[in-house]
Amino acid sequence: MALSGMRGLSVFISDVRNCRNKEQERLRVDKELGNIRTRFKNEKVGNIGGREFAESLAPDVQKLLISSSCRPLVRKKAALCLLRLFRKNPDILNIDGWSDRMSQLLDERDLGVLTSSMSLFVALVSNNHEAYWSCLPKCVKVMERLARNQDIPQEYTYYGIPSPWLQVKTMRALQYFPTVEDPSIRRALFEVLQRILMGTDVVKNVNKNNASHAVLFEALALVMHLDSEKEMMSQCVALLGKFIAVREPNIRYLGLENMTRMLMVTDVHEIIKRHQAQIITSLKDPDISIRRRSLDLLYGMCDVSNAKDIVEELLQYLATADFAMREELALKAAILAEKFAPDLSWYVDVILQLIDKAGDFVSDDIWFRVVQFVTNNEDLQPYAALKAREYLDKPAIHETMVKVSAYLLGEYSHLLARRPGCSPKEIFGIIHEKLPTVSTPTIPILLTTYAKILMHSQPPDPELQNQIWAVYSKYESCIDAEIQQRAVEYFALSRKGEALMDILAEMPKFPERQSSLIKKAEDTEADTAELSAIKLRTQQQTSNALVLTDQRPANGAPQVSQLGMVMVPSTSNADQNAVDQRVTQSNGTLSVVDPQPLAQDHAPAGDILGDLLSPLAIEGPPGVSPQSEFNGVPSHEGSVGANDALALAPVGDQESTVKPIGDIAERFQALCLKDSGVLYEDPYVQIGIKAEWRGHQGRMVLFLGNKNTAPLDSVQAVILPPSHLKLDISLVPEIIPPRAQVQCPLEVVNLRPSRDVAVLDFSYKFGTHLVNNKLRLPAVLNKFLQPIQVSAEEFFPQWRSLPGPPLKLQEVVRGVRPMPLGEMANLFNSLKLMVCPGLDPNPCNLVASTTFYSENTRAMLCLIRIETDPADRTQLRMTVASGDPTLTFELKEFIKENLVSIPTAGKPPAPVAQQPQPNNQPIASSDPGALLAGLL
Amino acid sequence: MIRAVIVINNQGKPRLTKFYNYTAVEQHQQIIRSIYSVLCLQPENVSNLIEGGSFLGPDSRLVYKLFATLYFVFVFDSSENELAMFDLIQVYVETLEKCFSNVCELDIVLNYSKMHTILDEMILGGQVVETNSEKIMQAVEEISKLEKETGATKLLSKSASLLWG
Repeated sequence: MALSGMRGLSVFISDVRNCRNKEQERLRVDKELGNIRTRFKNEKVGNIGGREFAESLAPDVQKLLISSSCRPLVRKKAALCLLRLFRKNPDILNIDGWSDRMSQLLDERDLGVLTSSMSLFVALVSNNHEAYWSCLPKCVKVMERLARNQDIPQEYTYYGIPSPWLQVKTMRALQYFPTVEDPSIRRALFEVLQRILMGTDVVKNVNKNNASHAVLFEALALVMHLDSEKEMMSQCVALLGKFIAVREPNIRYLGLENMTRMLMVTDVHEIIKRHQAQIITSLKDPDISIRRRSLDLLYGMCDVSNAKDIVEELLQYLATADFAMREELALKAAILAEKFAPDLSWYVDVILQLIDKAGDFVSDDIWFRVVQFVTNNEDLQPYAALKAREYLDKPAIHETMVKVSAYLLGEYSHLLARRPGCSPKEIFGIIHEKLPTVSTPTIPILLTTYAKILMHSQPPDPELQNQIWAVYSKYESCIDAEIQQRAVEYFALSRKGEALMDILAEMPKFPERQSSLIKKAEDTEADTAELSAIKLRTQQQTSNALVLTDQRPANGAPQVSQLGMVMVPSTSNADQNAVDQRVTQSNGTLSVVDPQPLAQDHAPAGDILGDLLSPLAIEGPPGVSPQSEFNGVPSHEGSVGANDALALAPVGDQESTVKPIGDIAERFQALCLKDSGVLYEDPYVQIGIKAEWRGHQGRMVLFLGNKNTAPLDSVQAVILPPSHLKLDISLVPEIIPPRAQVQCPLEVVNLRPSRDVAVLDFSYKFGTHLVNNKLRLPAVLNKFLQPIQVSAEEFFPQWRSLPGPPLKLQEVVRGVRPMPLGEMANLFNSLKLMVCPGLDPNPCNLVASTTFYSENTRAMLCLIRIETDPADRTQLRMTVASGDPTLTFELKEFIKENLVSIPTAGKPPAPVAQQPQPNNQPIASSDPGALLAGLL
Repeated sequence: MIRAVIVINNQGKPRLTKFYNYTAVEQHQQIIRSIYSVLCLQPENVSNLIEGGSFLGPDSRLVYKLFATLYFVFVFDSSENELAMFDLIQVYVETLEKCFSNVCELDIVLNYSKMHTILDEMILGGQVVETNSEKIMQAVEEISKLEKETGATKLLSKSASLLWG
């Protein structure tokens, strides 16, 4: 608009310049003023004016719109201008007689003006339909004119369809009237609608399809709204059933969406159910938007009669579903199971299966809920305990499963006592097996379970008692306040004999409350609230099996915490704001390391389980820095063998340093290329690593070995993960006995491509000597690669389909470590980039391919081409391509790092890190964000 | 209403952007980038509808069509019919086709203002004004005739050449 405005000005100026005399000049200026008046009013007023402005100008614009002498061009713009003004100030059209004028406007013959007027009309009726009843017959007339009589100029038909936009707008307007009362008008309208419903078929031409279906879907919406002649409704459902099976994805999508809308109308439920099989097929559609829609629809159409089928289908689908959908899927399956459970044992089955299949995506609310149900229903307790016991037999189970099973067995395992394999001792044994694999928040639950088992084993079994007491005494000095407190208290309680029975008696029933899950689902659906089937479903009768009331808890237990549902992260943002996110997320790691926020994090969990967790979820004391006493204490073997890095250390600290054996950076580099070896060694300690990688997941085991004859004290290993890795370290024992080795398993999940490195902050005390090291962990980018041999037929189409930045990046790399091509090929293979010989005819070039795995990108093929210059081995041109822009960039940089640097030079952090923490920096030691920033 | 019309090429370069609600200029790039990052990952043969609260405020939907190297993207709210938006894209492209005969990306780069003029004749303030490509063409031709008659383009190009040296 700015440009055309300027053009007008230039025209005007040149005209004025060309004028011969004053008279001509005045004429030209007056003409321009006239132009400005009409133009300005129509186009600009609406855009820039305020409320008062709108009031004073509206009458003029109205006149322009109504006057038949004006050009259609001006009138249609006037209509839209009026719409704009009306949005600013609705009073301007709330005047007597305007509805009559509006009604006249709808008689308009010119379709351009009529389309604009209809836009205005839609806004007016959406605001207040009462005033415009007189216009309703006119709308029906418009529909008749367009859809039945096709009485419009040829150029307004679009692919043979009379102005689909106007038809759509008119039907939209009609949807704002609650009913059509006049029987003759009603008949006329339904005749038109019938014609639209019958007359539309799927054709070859995509554009024609779009247009006719636009009209059709709007007609469907109108039929649904007027909702009277049931004949037509079933016809609509039949049509939609046809659409959800067509090839055109857009139509499929809208078909599913409209079916979901249709659930609002009662009585069609049964008809929709006939299409259940087809809807379930759509759950496997290649298009994620369609999968989402069909999930919504299945969720909406579920009731007591088909809940079993649908939930089982969802469970089955869960195993193969995209990560982006799993959380939603798990939540929906859980809600449906809860609402429509035909019997309670089925509900327990479903939730346990859900946890088993998709533990990572099952929020705490889901398992809290199942615990509540089991607690409140006595009949269910033996069954639930038995199921929990069965799952514990599985070789690898998710941590959430450990939590539920431990809780259920703690409460109810005594009900199973006579079954084989269910004696208190055996139950304790099988649960205790899982303890080394679980993370800190789970340990308190296990400790409670042990206490309950102990309480239930009457008469006391001394052997079991000793075993459990040994566990408690082990955790009595645990760094985690929650664990420590429980260990101490349970230990003391269990010596009280009879009193133990009262204190650890079975949990009382939970007060009935509205399911937090359903609340959560309602919250997330808020945006589509009026169309959402959920609202409707909540009003409908739910299964009798589970009684839900919305009453406040009677005993003053905290209300169910409202954890906002984790929205599915959009991949685009992750890529976009990679840098920002990295910053915030590395701050976010604070909560992993600092004990205080951790305790607070647990608090909501306590809310939900009521008495189980909350009384104990107190804040731990702030971590006391143990370093403070060890300033300047000389070490015995400290000064053997000089290390360059030590030059950086302050003189006072130099004496107290423990020298590492071997070069840490070199060891790290070596471990980047292989999966087991020594990460760190000094005169007291050796840390070995063994890792297994599968897809985007990995399992590392740290072997902490004490080389001396005295125990190592205050051992601490904290992982500072970068934002792209999910790292769970199991508890590291605080004391390593003499000449012993302990294993710490570590689960790694790669979320997205990044070259950042995880850091292990490892410290221990030997005698009075504190040693602290920050070691990079070899969970680097190439660990998530899987070499793949690609043939020429596969390679080139892929290569071509990735046209350029940001998916394909090219760079000339200088300062490359000179090496023969064969050696480079070996380097590539060792980085898990499979060199594919013969693809590039030029013998100086190298082509490699690999698959990268992360949770975000899933398996993604990466292609690499290196063009070397035989004359100058220190430079080469590198092209990297993959389906993800971040991955391409990160992989390119990763390869570059490996080509340019000599591995032993390494990156700076490791050598600097090996000095002990100076005691005057307690802030730095407790802030991993600062540490990371310093290190990386 | 229609909230925005955006034309991006398949390298992510915007060729035309038009926002019908006030949007800060700084946000434009951000929005375009986020739209492109979604579009470039869309495989073929999936529906061309993207639901995204994130694009232009809540309740916004997006449809796109890919013609050769260009994505035509319409962002709109729930008061519009999705398929009608597809039709509108088609009308827009057909009008461009009539205007340039065998339209390609270069035409669009060089005739940036004409693109806008055509769009303004079709959509005004987020509402459809005219769907008849004949009439749109007529209006556009009238404007360009007016320009030619008065030598405005000459004047403009002259001043532009002065500006750019």
